[in-house]
Amino acid sequence: MAAYIARRLFVMIPTLIGITLLVFLLIALSPGGIGASLRVSGGEMEASKAAQLEAYLEDRYGLDDPVLVQYVRWLGRISPVKFGTRAQISPSGEIIRTPKALDGFFLSKDWFADLELGEEARARLATLPPPGPLLDGEQAVAEHRAASRDYMEARADYIAANQFLEEAVVRYARETGIADAVDAEGEPVEGVLTDHRPETAAPSWAPVQAAALATLEAYEAAVVARNRLQRAFDAKPYPEVGVPVLPGVLSLGPPDFGVAFSRGRPVVDLIAAALPVTILLNLIAIPVIYLVAIPTGMLAAVRRGGWWDIASGALFVALWSVPTVWAGVLAIGYLANEQYLGWFPVSGLHDKAAEDYLFLPTWGENGFAPGYLLDLLWHLVLPVTCLVYAGFAVLAKQTRAAMLDNLSADYVRTARAKGVPARTVILRHVFRNSLLPLITMFVSVFPAMLAGSVVIERIFSIPGMGSLIIEAINLRDRELILANTLMIAFVNLFALLLADILYAFADPRVSYD
Amino acid sequence: MQNRFGIKDFLLLVLVGAVLVSVWLSMSAGDRRLEVLQGLERRLSDVETQLFTGGGTGGGGDLAKEIAALRQAILERPVNVIIQGGGQVAAATTGIATATTPAASAPSGGSGGRDESWARPGVKIAWQKPWEFVSPPTDVPGFRAGGEFTEIFGAQPAKLVPYLSTDVYGRRVIDEVADSLAGYDPATLELRGRLASAWQEDPDGLWLRVRIRDDAVFSDGKPVTAEDVRWTLQDYVFNPQIEAERARSTLGMIQDVKVVDDKTVEFTFDKAMFTNLSYSMGIYVLPKHFYSQFEPSEINQSTGLLMGSGGFKIEGLDPDRQWTPGEDVVLVRNDRFWGPRSPLERLRYKTVTNDLARLVSYRNDEGDMITPTSPQFNAAREEGDWEDENWSLQWVNMRSGYSFIAWQCGPRQGRLTPFHDERVRQGMTMILDRERMIRDIWDGIGVVSTGPNNPESPTANPDVEAWPYDPERAAALFKEAGWEDRNGDGVLENEDGQEFQFELTMSTGGEIVEQITSYVRNQCTRAGIRCSIRLVDWSIFADLLKQRDFDALMMGWSASAPESDPRQIWHSESILDQGDNFIQWANEDADSLIDRIRATLDTGERMDLWHEFHSVVHESQPYTFIRVSPWLRFVKGDIGNVNTYKAGLDRTEFFRAGQMVTQPGS
Repeated sequence: MAAYIARRLFVMIPTLIGITLLVFLLIALSPGGIGASLRVSGGEMEASKAAQLEAYLEDRYGLDDPVLVQYVRWLGRISPVKFGTRAQISPSGEIIRTPKALDGFFLSKDWFADLELGEEARARLATLPPPGPLLDGEQAVAEHRAASRDYMEARADYIAANQFLEEAVVRYARETGIADAVDAEGEPVEGVLTDHRPETAAPSWAPVQAAALATLEAYEAAVVARNRLQRAFDAKPYPEVGVPVLPGVLSLGPPDFGVAFSRGRPVVDLIAAALPVTILLNLIAIPVIYLVAIPTGMLAAVRRGGWWDIASGALFVALWSVPTVWAGVLAIGYLANEQYLGWFPVSGLHDKAAEDYLFLPTWGENGFAPGYLLDLLWHLVLPVTCLVYAGFAVLAKQTRAAMLDNLSADYVRTARAKGVPARTVILRHVFRNSLLPLITMFVSVFPAMLAGSVVIERIFSIPGMGSLIIEAINLRDRELILANTLMIAFVNLFALLLADILYAFADPRVSYD
Repeated sequence: MQNRFGIKDFLLLVLVGAVLVSVWLSMSAGDRRLEVLQGLERRLSDVETQLFTGGGTGGGGDLAKEIAALRQAILERPVNVIIQGGGQVAAATTGIATATTPAASAPSGGSGGRDESWARPGVKIAWQKPWEFVSPPTDVPGFRAGGEFTEIFGAQPAKLVPYLSTDVYGRRVIDEVADSLAGYDPATLELRGRLASAWQEDPDGLWLRVRIRDDAVFSDGKPVTAEDVRWTLQDYVFNPQIEAERARSTLGMIQDVKVVDDKTVEFTFDKAMFTNLSYSMGIYVLPKHFYSQFEPSEINQSTGLLMGSGGFKIEGLDPDRQWTPGEDVVLVRNDRFWGPRSPLERLRYKTVTNDLARLVSYRNDEGDMITPTSPQFNAAREEGDWEDENWSLQWVNMRSGYSFIAWQCGPRQGRLTPFHDERVRQGMTMILDRERMIRDIWDGIGVVSTGPNNPESPTANPDVEAWPYDPERAAALFKEAGWEDRNGDGVLENEDGQEFQFELTMSTGGEIVEQITSYVRNQCTRAGIRCSIRLVDWSIFADLLKQRDFDALMMGWSASAPESDPRQIWHSESILDQGDNFIQWANEDADSLIDRIRATLDTGERMDLWHEFHSVVHESQPYTFIRVSPWLRFVKGDIGNVNTYKAGLDRTEFFRAGQMVTQPGS
């Protein structure tokens, strides 16, 4: 058994990688691609500024890298096994890594390979602060802070200059009529341009030349700033993260899920806020489904063909076919609307004064006060009702079918014949043996618990996982989608493993040794 | 029988577990309350000791001084609106204030011999009157101070941090808390000083010197200084470590911010542009002493670090207890605000995402204001007593956008569309009955748009009239352009026998799309034009815009200010470089007008140019302008002094009356 479990756990790793890669490729290849939400143009910003803004944002979130590089980078961050220099963590919880590498600018290896900076530019570069000595303590922190701001500024300048250069090249390519040098979205195509020798006589070449010089200078400045930051980082101003295995090469550290760029907040925070809400809803809804559906199904099987069987079957199937959107809207329109019944609150999970409530209900001078718990339960009635009503049918029918299979089995007839009371036969013999298919159904509960329901959360304004995920998908938020996928995939795989183990317990014939 | 674990035991265990958990939870809830109480007590005693010891340590001393100054002010001044509002609330929150004194303009800032030592000599100074209510609430019958006002949002603001918040709801909250140097006058849309008591503009448009009001303080009592303005821009907005890229791009024209003296600050610009003044005066001024205590990464990831000098402040500035999405946003009145104080004590913003649920919440008195959908707006107004108990507001203001059908004036994939001809575009406009579209598709809500300028803005040319609905004139124009039915099949052809056909692209979503497409197609068929419809997801739509790969498409532009830079959408240079001139409309008159508008700093002169530009666009019809969408609001009838302005609504003017105060009709 232990060997089996170990094997299954080991297989989980490639499976998880496969699942996340698949999801990642789906987002990357969908129209708009990753981070589509970041590229919304306002109509008020000048085109060059809008392009610059896009370049900044792409650089900040690494969206300008090739798709696979982005994925591998993400994998590296969430992996508990880390390669290379360990990251450091500041007191405010920010994870500080080796400064980002600088890529050469547009066509720098080709058209501008032997571009030289002028005297003046050299003089300007010489005034930049070089890498300092290795400091420690407070000084190291201060130096790192100053150096990282400098580097970000220099990097931003470099990105802006590079963007400007690309625009100049586009104009030049359009004017000199290089075929296919500009793609449908107006971006220059580097591969096509490298095959051309620039015509330095063309009138639009001068701006290109000037832009390239400016970019080169910005690049050199960024290199200087980066070296300084690298030195400041090497001084280890902050404590390092994780445990070293092979110092400088391999270490163990906590996974970092990154920042969701659609909301500018750490993914972990977002999930930590949404997950408890969803789990709470499901923790109430799922037991209700089971407590109603299983006894109903059992009774329907025992009295097969009787009025209970037919009535419960019909009712559950009818409920199953009512769309949740419609039911939710009706519930709000009639049950929550004070023009009609007004029994339940319309939205949210708490009363606006709930922060000041006691936890349990009290009877005091001012009469009955509901308290936090009761207030919460009262708010949950409508959403939970909408969550459960459609779930009865499948489970009840499943129970009924499994029970019927066993009821006609030989051992049941034997048990009855030898005088075992009917109650015992049904609960001990038949029900226990009907558990197997129910176990399969039960494990699917765990991933469902985390996933949340988009429709219900939208209708009742509940900030749970469903709305979080759907928004992440709409906005193509790489970090948030991948973290969600990873979490749900992990729980799913784990639930499947649990099901297999439970089989062995429920059915002695199943063995993994 | 062996003793087995049965269902009863299981239930018993669950029950015991539930009881234990709830006991534990209630104990922890009790603990939390105790902690809060203790914290409050501690703070109270701190304040007390500081007050009694005269306050050697900054804050308390300021407070004592401030209270003394306030007392003095109350004694010396005749009863005046501002003191009255504030004083009332401090004394008794529900007291009815008797508004006997007329709203005298507060004589602050030394109106006599003005101090001009801060200014550059020889340049005109634009002195600003102190910001006042357009309609002082105390003048309205039934005035009462105090109470809470709840607005129900349709979506959760993602964060409430100035410059980092990008959604409209976040901006609405931040606007109440963080004040700016100047704002648009709600009634006239003139730029008027808020934190600024005066400014000086370089005649060449390259610098701007601003004087900050002497009495302006942040909500913690520290004065607003020039250094705060400089810090906000240089070390917050322009700090690349802060994720304020958007603000950084719009304010990129500011080259430098210099502190001239404690209350005077000077901006330098890279080039003269008419937007320089409004953009730089519109920045939120942030308190340096508050924000500089955080690391950039803390600010980036925070959700509710919000402090300013506006009429309201957020409760809970403790970074560990800041507001997070999912909670109601609660703002309390900032009693240190220098300007006209809101009679309301608290503003609350809650979120209900579902349209119906939002209306039901409003009906159940869980909120005082919502934005209804058009059908909701019309349906509610048909109820008999609705207008007696609610304000149903519908008005066009400076933030109203417009919807349009854009015609491809340039080539699509190398081929010219029929719409490159101005006459065809005019004809297309004339075969669409826009009044009827508004009546049938938008339930009669909206007005016909005549051009790119918001009708409430002074930039709009009042003489431009929308093209009439006139299919016959349209047919004549089509014929003039070479399109007529040459073979009698009911479809127009040109000389080469090509049929007049085009594809209308729309982004999916909503039943309105369905109605619009069927109407447009119908009208086209009648006019002998084949129109096919292409519905795409928004992200694809955005790509099509960039690639200019469409014949015609429908979308809308929204507005945020009375005047914005027209270059990005209308100038022929914005055809290149992925600019938003996606229809590839190149018009020399428009180009030269745009260039002149951008460089003209004199408002009157610029408005004339704007009017001319409006006519040029109208004549050429690169878009068929369809509808200006008004704002819709429901406000509870017991809210007083609800006025619709060109700049929107002014929540700070509202008050909570005891009874219904609506004067139906809007």
